[in-house]
Amino acid sequence: MKKNELLEEILAEVDKHPEIMSRRDAMKYLTMSPMAASIIAGATVGATTVSASDAKGKILIVGGGLAGMSTAARLTNTLSDPDITVIEPNPLSTSYQPGQTLVGGGIWDKSEVMYNRDEFVPNGVKLIKGAVTAFDPDNNKVIVDGKKEVTYDQMIIATGLMLNFAAIKGLTGEITSCNPDNAEAKKTIGKDGVHSIYFQDGSEATWTGIEELIAKAKKWKKGEPKLQAVFTHPNTPIKCGGAPKKIMYLTNAQLEKAGVRDAVELTFYPNGGKMFGVPEYHEAIVNQFKARGFKWNYKHNLVEINKETKTATFNHHWTEKGAWDEDLEEYGVELKSKHVEVKYDFIHVTPPMKAPDVVAHSKVGSSKGWVPVKKETLQHVKYKNVFCLGDVVAVPMGKTGGSARKQYKVVVNNVISAMEGDQKAIDTTNTKYAGYTVCPLITSIGTVMLAEFNWTKKPTPMVPLDPTQERWIWWLLKVYLLKPMTQIGMLSGRA
Amino acid sequence: MIKQITAIALATSAFFLLTGCGEDKKVETKTYKYTTVQVYEKSCIKCHGKHGEGNPLKKTPALNDRSAGEMAEDLYDIRNGGTSAQSSGTDHEIMEHNMQKLIDKGYDYDINSMAEFLSYLAKNK
Repeated sequence: MKKNELLEEILAEVDKHPEIMSRRDAMKYLTMSPMAASIIAGATVGATTVSASDAKGKILIVGGGLAGMSTAARLTNTLSDPDITVIEPNPLSTSYQPGQTLVGGGIWDKSEVMYNRDEFVPNGVKLIKGAVTAFDPDNNKVIVDGKKEVTYDQMIIATGLMLNFAAIKGLTGEITSCNPDNAEAKKTIGKDGVHSIYFQDGSEATWTGIEELIAKAKKWKKGEPKLQAVFTHPNTPIKCGGAPKKIMYLTNAQLEKAGVRDAVELTFYPNGGKMFGVPEYHEAIVNQFKARGFKWNYKHNLVEINKETKTATFNHHWTEKGAWDEDLEEYGVELKSKHVEVKYDFIHVTPPMKAPDVVAHSKVGSSKGWVPVKKETLQHVKYKNVFCLGDVVAVPMGKTGGSARKQYKVVVNNVISAMEGDQKAIDTTNTKYAGYTVCPLITSIGTVMLAEFNWTKKPTPMVPLDPTQERWIWWLLKVYLLKPMTQIGMLSGRA
Repeated sequence: MIKQITAIALATSAFFLLTGCGEDKKVETKTYKYTTVQVYEKSCIKCHGKHGEGNPLKKTPALNDRSAGEMAEDLYDIRNGGTSAQSSGTDHEIMEHNMQKLIDKGYDYDINSMAEFLSYLAKNK
């Protein structure tokens, strides 16, 4: 990719929303700021940093989303004689999922996040437009669509995960983020004040929902009970852990913009007991919530939605001091819980998420579903010729595009070492995955807090700016730079 | 001059940020009071049993029914109050409490090493 190509792509994005940032301002940032300049430089070199390998073998990649397709591209760039097959049923698998927050928040149009799978298949890679229906890792093969057998020497699992709306009573559908085959979910989600940005069509409907809320708020009179906007966070690992909060911040920003913020109460109901696992970010978010007049109730897990009465039921759980435990030599704790009903005018549902059943119930899966790997090497715990990355892999904090961007390089190196029969390199010398992930937390229209961290649970900012601050420059990064970086840089295997 | 240095630092680190060349090379070393085996034999064994078989009377789960990778994930969940970085919470609220108490008593351990030890116990039961 040429430098100008990327710059043009970024400026074209900026041009779409002159009300937020003018081309002139963006140019100022991009050309005056050494940081932005080096971002562009970084995106244009990549290809030469991968050394060529003559390793041979049949590589199968199950899943052609961002993780799978980027891995295919990087392997293609690296191997002198690649033999790569990608299996992917969804024609929109390479859509830009991080943009769904911006679609839901009324900043982008849905068309700006839709990307066709077929345009991202690297040269020479075979694409099977189907779904794996069985894994047989003992015999190095999978079954596609119940009939076709595909064998491999090395397999990379990158199926992504399932949004399990059906697990909430009153809601329907077990779907993926950008597969247009989502009619079941749309029966109950995307209307009547019940919304979710977690799937592409749902994100578009969310913005309509926010507009409906604004219209209602405009009719609200002082003294009347406030309209209730409720935001949930489930008890499972989720992709893009910040999105449940980002959509809350954007709803707030749009209500403010419309001059009706006073009419609405915004409340966050997470299953967990904190805002963030990294104390510094937790504290920053609590302060942001306070500054915006948000409410929050920890340890509430959404279990039911009654659309007739517009009531959400949560399982509220907590611990109380229990009996003296002789073995522990301390008092233990007891679990308590009760159901809590909450009225809503608008509710944003972050669904429970799970590994696809075909993965979870196979020999490559686990009791919790996610594919168990050695988390530093992403190699399967039982099958040495199976690797896994992306949303379906069982590593802590790993379900973001930012994690995948670190993971795919580790997987490519390790797959090549496996093809060369060099297990020792995988275990020792190859670069390890350290759990890096990033959450560009959108805190308003125009500001983002760039929360970067890894398994040490300490902020790991790559740029020496206080990472707990909301900044304009990260808005530029999140809204204008990351999409071209991902769709052009990463999906070509370079960035 | 200071401005210039900051600019260079910004440029360099942004390059790392987006190219991945800055992949964490630092290794944190931590020392523990007891070895993994000692921790198990002095503490865990009381509730989870000699072979990690668990104790239904105490409602303590078996630890010998999963791979080392799965166990490491569970231990991470317990230690950190969840595997999610944000607000999903933990699957192990009781043990989360207990583990913090045990860490206070010096029974801290390396997660990968404990997971390997437990899978060894499971294979040799």
